[in-house]
Amino acid sequence: MERFAIAQFGSRLGTRLEGEHARECLLAALRSLPPNGQLVLTLEGIEVLSTSFSDEMVARAYQVLVSGELGDRTMVVETPQADLAEGIDVKLAQRRLAMLCRAAGTWTILGFHTPAMDETLRLILEKGTTTTRELADELDLQMSACVNRVARLAQLRLIHREKIGMKGPQDIYELHSIIRS
Amino acid sequence: MTRLTIETIDDLIELVLHQNTPSIDLRDVRFMDPYALLLLELLRFELADRGRRVGLELPKAGAVGRWMRAMGFAAQGRAVDGRLRDSESALQPIASIDEERNVGRIVDGFECRLVERHPLSEDGRRSLIAIMIELFQNIPHHSNADGSIADPHGIAAMQDYENSIFLAIADRGIGLSGSLALRTGYEGMTSREALRSIFDQGVSRFEDPGRGGELQRIARIVRSWDGTLAVRSGNALLYFDETGGDVYDVPEFPGLQLGLRLPRHILGIGMLES
Repeated sequence: MERFAIAQFGSRLGTRLEGEHARECLLAALRSLPPNGQLVLTLEGIEVLSTSFSDEMVARAYQVLVSGELGDRTMVVETPQADLAEGIDVKLAQRRLAMLCRAAGTWTILGFHTPAMDETLRLILEKGTTTTRELADELDLQMSACVNRVARLAQLRLIHREKIGMKGPQDIYELHSIIRS
Repeated sequence: MTRLTIETIDDLIELVLHQNTPSIDLRDVRFMDPYALLLLELLRFELADRGRRVGLELPKAGAVGRWMRAMGFAAQGRAVDGRLRDSESALQPIASIDEERNVGRIVDGFECRLVERHPLSEDGRRSLIAIMIELFQNIPHHSNADGSIADPHGIAAMQDYENSIFLAIADRGIGLSGSLALRTGYEGMTSREALRSIFDQGVSRFEDPGRGGELQRIARIVRSWDGTLAVRSGNALLYFDETGGDVYDVPEFPGLQLGLRLPRHILGIGMLES
């Protein structure tokens, strides 16, 4: 797990031009991680983070992560105050992306998320490791509905999904929280 | 006309630009806000471009004339950080906004002026800086997006009042409908339709879903603060204050002009006793 301080680019970050430069550095940091490594993007020391900068730097870099180009690497946000991450939240939502964020010690989801996603993700985070079958039972869901929820969370890099076998034509996955101590 | 403001400047534009009066008569003006000042400044450029020589009758009220000069009205040269102030009343003189790389410095200058005069709350300061960054960078991003304008004359100014802080930003660029026309499917919109698309739907000239929505978001914030917002483009004006608002017809003028009147308490500035 590596930390990446946005404040290295300044304490007030606003224009798209500044965000473009910062994105290149962020993508380089993500590429330098081990194949399943995690980058903690910290907002410590930031005074203003505009929506335009947030989009250029964070949301667009996260788009690359979600595209699969960076393998199983993950990225989370850590902020001393929830409102500092507002620009990231807005722009991720516009791009229909979502990221985990720890604000003052509490994990929340930034960006686009539904109550169903929240419910499923929260359970996975609580358990640390689980299976789709176990989740479907606990959430009282049809297996297919649970598979869809889990697939969406995995696609957004909010959980790790590991194939552990097959049952008939269906893949069996073990699900892991991406939150690391 | 005794007050030249967001609410009255269009009467003057109609007279000068469309009814071809021989002079801009400000003799009776006893109050002028920064939005009107910026439009007046751009009106000078517009008249010059049209080859019209129009006289300017300055306000008889000395304080207004001094404020206009201190704000840099009709100044020949203009420092980017707007360090032209020579009057106690003028807060932030007209500053030029040209390139995106200068936006951070200009915002710092505006903040500096305000903080010199008023201590701001941390939240208020951060909100105002974020708003200025978004609005100022819109000028290099959009005012000449098709490269058709020689100089869009992006300018901004700020003034403090008894109950409010007033920020104005203006340009003489391609306007909202001109900017949206660069996107397939949005060509040929009227100014009113462009304003509606941008403020109601968060549309921008980019297909990229991450672009756009900033003006819509700022309007939402200003509304939640019971502030006033005026956004004028072409022949349409979106205006609202704490009592409500709508989109109105106004005389045609190029570019985009914005005025934000923010209650002082939102920025953590104590209200002056009147």
